Amino acid sequence: MYKPTIGLEIHLQLMTESKIFCSCSTEFAAKPNTHICPVCIGLPGALPVLNEKVIEYGVMLGIALNCTINEVSSFYRKNYFYPDLPKGYQITQYAIPLAKDGFLEIVTENQRKMIRIEKAHIEEDSGKSIHTGDITESEYSFIDFNRSGVPLMEIVTYPDIESPDEAYEFLNLLRSIARYLGVSTGDMEKGALRCDVNISVSKDEVMGTKVEIKNLNSFRSVKRALEYEIKRQTKLIEEGRTVVKETRHFDEKDGTTKAMRTKEELNDYRYFPEPDLPPLIISGDFIEEIGQRIPELPNQKMRRFIEDYSLSIDYARSIAYVPSFSKYFESIIAFTGKPREVANFIMVNISNYLNETGKDIEEVPFGKEEFKELLDLIDSKIISLNIAKNVLDDSIRSGKSPSEIVREKGLSQVTDEDTLRSMIVEVLKENEMQVRQYLAGKTKVIGFLVGAVMKKSGGKANPDLVNKILLKELETLRQ
Amino acid sequence: MMDITKLTAYETVKRIKSGEIGVKETLLSYLKKIEEREDLIKTFILIDRDRAIKKAEELDQLEHKEGLLFGLPVAIKDNINVYGYEATAGSKILKGYVSLYDASVVESIKRENGIILGKTNCDEFAMGSSTENSAFFPTRNPVNLEYVPGGSSGGSAACVAAEEVAIAIGSDTGGSIREPAAFCGVVGLKPTYGRVSRYGLIAFASSLDVIGPLSKDVRDAALMLNVIAGFDAHDETTVDIKVDDYLDILEGNIKGKKIGVIKEVMDFEVQKELKDALESSIQKLKGEGCEILEISIPYLKYALPSYYIIAPSEASSNLARFDGVRYGYESDGAYLREFYENTRTEGFGDEVKRRILIGTFALSEGYFEDYYLKASKVRRIIEMDFENAFEQVDALILPTTATTAFKLNEKKSPLEMYMTDIFTIPVNLAGLPAISVPAGTDKAGLPVGVQLVGKWFEEALLLRIAHHIEE
Amino acid sequence: MSKFDIEKVERLAGLKLKDDERERIKRDIDEIINYFDILKEVDTDGIDPLVYTKWTRLTLRNDEVHTGLTLEEIKKNRKLFGNNFFRVRRIIGE
Ligand SMILES: [Zn+2]
Repeated sequence: MYKPTIGLEIHLQLMTESKIFCSCSTEFAAKPNTHICPVCIGLPGALPVLNEKVIEYGVMLGIALNCTINEVSSFYRKNYFYPDLPKGYQITQYAIPLAKDGFLEIVTENQRKMIRIEKAHIEEDSGKSIHTGDITESEYSFIDFNRSGVPLMEIVTYPDIESPDEAYEFLNLLRSIARYLGVSTGDMEKGALRCDVNISVSKDEVMGTKVEIKNLNSFRSVKRALEYEIKRQTKLIEEGRTVVKETRHFDEKDGTTKAMRTKEELNDYRYFPEPDLPPLIISGDFIEEIGQRIPELPNQKMRRFIEDYSLSIDYARSIAYVPSFSKYFESIIAFTGKPREVANFIMVNISNYLNETGKDIEEVPFGKEEFKELLDLIDSKIISLNIAKNVLDDSIRSGKSPSEIVREKGLSQVTDEDTLRSMIVEVLKENEMQVRQYLAGKTKVIGFLVGAVMKKSGGKANPDLVNKILLKELETLRQ
Repeated sequence: MMDITKLTAYETVKRIKSGEIGVKETLLSYLKKIEEREDLIKTFILIDRDRAIKKAEELDQLEHKEGLLFGLPVAIKDNINVYGYEATAGSKILKGYVSLYDASVVESIKRENGIILGKTNCDEFAMGSSTENSAFFPTRNPVNLEYVPGGSSGGSAACVAAEEVAIAIGSDTGGSIREPAAFCGVVGLKPTYGRVSRYGLIAFASSLDVIGPLSKDVRDAALMLNVIAGFDAHDETTVDIKVDDYLDILEGNIKGKKIGVIKEVMDFEVQKELKDALESSIQKLKGEGCEILEISIPYLKYALPSYYIIAPSEASSNLARFDGVRYGYESDGAYLREFYENTRTEGFGDEVKRRILIGTFALSEGYFEDYYLKASKVRRIIEMDFENAFEQVDALILPTTATTAFKLNEKKSPLEMYMTDIFTIPVNLAGLPAISVPAGTDKAGLPVGVQLVGKWFEEALLLRIAHHIEE
Repeated sequence: MSKFDIEKVERLAGLKLKDDERERIKRDIDEIINYFDILKEVDTDGIDPLVYTKWTRLTLRNDEVHTGLTLEEIKKNRKLFGNNFFRVRRIIGE
């Protein structure tokens, strides 16, 4: 029995205006080296001063991750040489992190699972090294220090994750929580969320060797890399070969992981207390005050959507995890009721519209009034659910109200029995074979016949009536 | 005609403000003196005559002569950033580095209309006790050119002693203001850790470094402390505790104050004239109505090893930023590692390399507990010793150094050199304020210093007592 | 046998001494490190290390953006390359 054991190490950028220890802007994709100052490029004599927003966001995230917030935490220096690390050390937390001992509960395929969080601490980001061409071949590397000093929260889980899907879902939930709190965009493509994974595969309870994977640029990459790595390690164990403890790089192109080709570096970071920053003291009152500002979080929302509104897990998750979606959804159903129908419209029609136009849900010109109108048209059997979808699509794009569209396009359902009967008679004539089959006892063909009638009516026929009249007409033919 | 360079800083500012002397006139007298003496003593790494003269002319035009340092030329130790000037900290690795900002103390001096005259020589990264570790040239003791001026703020001490400037700024990590002050016969004040902003001071050992003045007398030290003391939002280790008007409190009596004499000091070998000077200072204090008590700092002798672990540990990290990438000296190499190693090995001098290596070792895996952590615990014990002492007394008195100045190239081993700081280092470990005041000369005519140590943030009383014992 | 492995420490410290220099410096350092042994005499059980004086309190800065250095200022200290990047020798080698 092979079993993977996975731990995640996530770096989340806290979305402050200025950097963690200086007043430079954190703007993304600015011109290289235009957001730097004596502090963040390590000019001699410059000193760090802590940004209060970083603490506020850090505490908020810590509480949301069910962590204990340390009322006294401290900063350390992590010493190593790298060209994008301007001071030759990174200011981080080490002995006492801001937050510790938390957990997140994730849901995958109806399974609930607790993933424990070891710690969450704040630290500064380094600059960015750019290598032209292959890192081993190019003569020079180029450095941009705009990122240097951007605030990060590092979140480390215990190795409680047992599948690539669980890893994916953990990240998905974490990002969503950060977005709800407004502490991070979690955009991986902008470097606001980075993830390294540790994975080992055990066989029959015998612990495997831990391998670290880096260079994961999307949630999908995390999943793919883990899937590949589980196969690779399992195969090695099956063949009786050893898994090497190492750091591997994920290759986006072929979906494999490769051992990093670096010289054996001495890893001795010589952590010691940062003398330039006295301990950070956070009062219980402050923690409480921040705690009260935490809104309902996506996992709680999702559960409520499932339990109270009977949404499917997929729909509940898709709506609950995106703050703008759930805000939209909840504002509508508060006015119209019918959460299942509304969820369906959002996840199909409105999602399609957003994909096509690239717009945000806040910009959708179809609010609670329009939804109410649409749902009333269905309720009073003026249009069918299928027509309603077309009306919604049309309304978003044309800006016309649902009733206007129904009126202009003559979409209201045909409920006049004589009209329907003459249509049905025509259909029965045109489909003699199916009629014969029906009369011979193959009643399943009724579906085909209903469909034909609906088609003839341009979808406007009231399906219940069609059914009723059709059955009556067929019985007449039998006699 | 009056020789302006004989005046104290306080008198100079007073006379400029009264219109008796002009700012440019003052500056030119100092520049003349520098021209006469600088070649022999070599206290400055950089002098900007033009910028100083221009500033002086501007000040002479002003109707309102405002600012505590109005028109006063000030020299700044070269490990402190002054916008637009090179700041080398006496190191080849910072050759060519141009400061892109003012240190907070420099900003304060400029705000009070002081004139930055130049940057003074020092031991490389303030690591040394003789200024012989400067990568550029040694500075000589103005009292006797065969002798060292002390260090690391040797340039600042020597230029005040040579009357090339009325007052200078130095930094003190283990005695780097007080020891050269004693060797050159001037006053050197090391304020409480946290009293003066370190922002802009090129860090040697962040938990120990303090900026302070070197001056002709105690009043001048008080004047400069009025300018530079106080909380600074750029330095998280400055403390928001009330700053007194140090000039104002200088005169009052010190009757009934309890002064402690540290018993353990006499366990060390101290030059006779220094013992005598200490004794006569004690007599003076008695004469002023002070009560003299013998007190004990039992762990005094462990201060030196503790310091020589902690300071290099912090230094090894503080000096990691000098990698040749963004400023200063750059060597070459086929690839990055080689570039770093060449730059740093060529850029740092021997003493700096020694301390970086010791510090790196003391923090490294397997040794952290036995060295860095052990030393930091001993540091706590020493601080507690002082805390106990200050429950009994208002100030302590002890020699600044165990000997008077030594000759250039006289001290051979690094360890021998480290011993120079035995009486100043404990004070830095505890973060206390201390001052060295001149107390006569030895038989070779070399200056002798006496050191007073005050309670945390009580520079006011410390200065007042010092004012009573200075000659 | 000295516990001070100078070549390993050099590597961590980003230094590479020449052979004669290494020998001399190692001798000095061995002497200094031996001297540190005197600290073993001090019983430090239950003592907290001192890094910060009891007076220091961390103060927090408002999250406000101020302009930093200009490219012109930076160029006073280093030539920039391409679209104003710092440049270093390739990272991997040997
Ligand atoms: Zn900055």
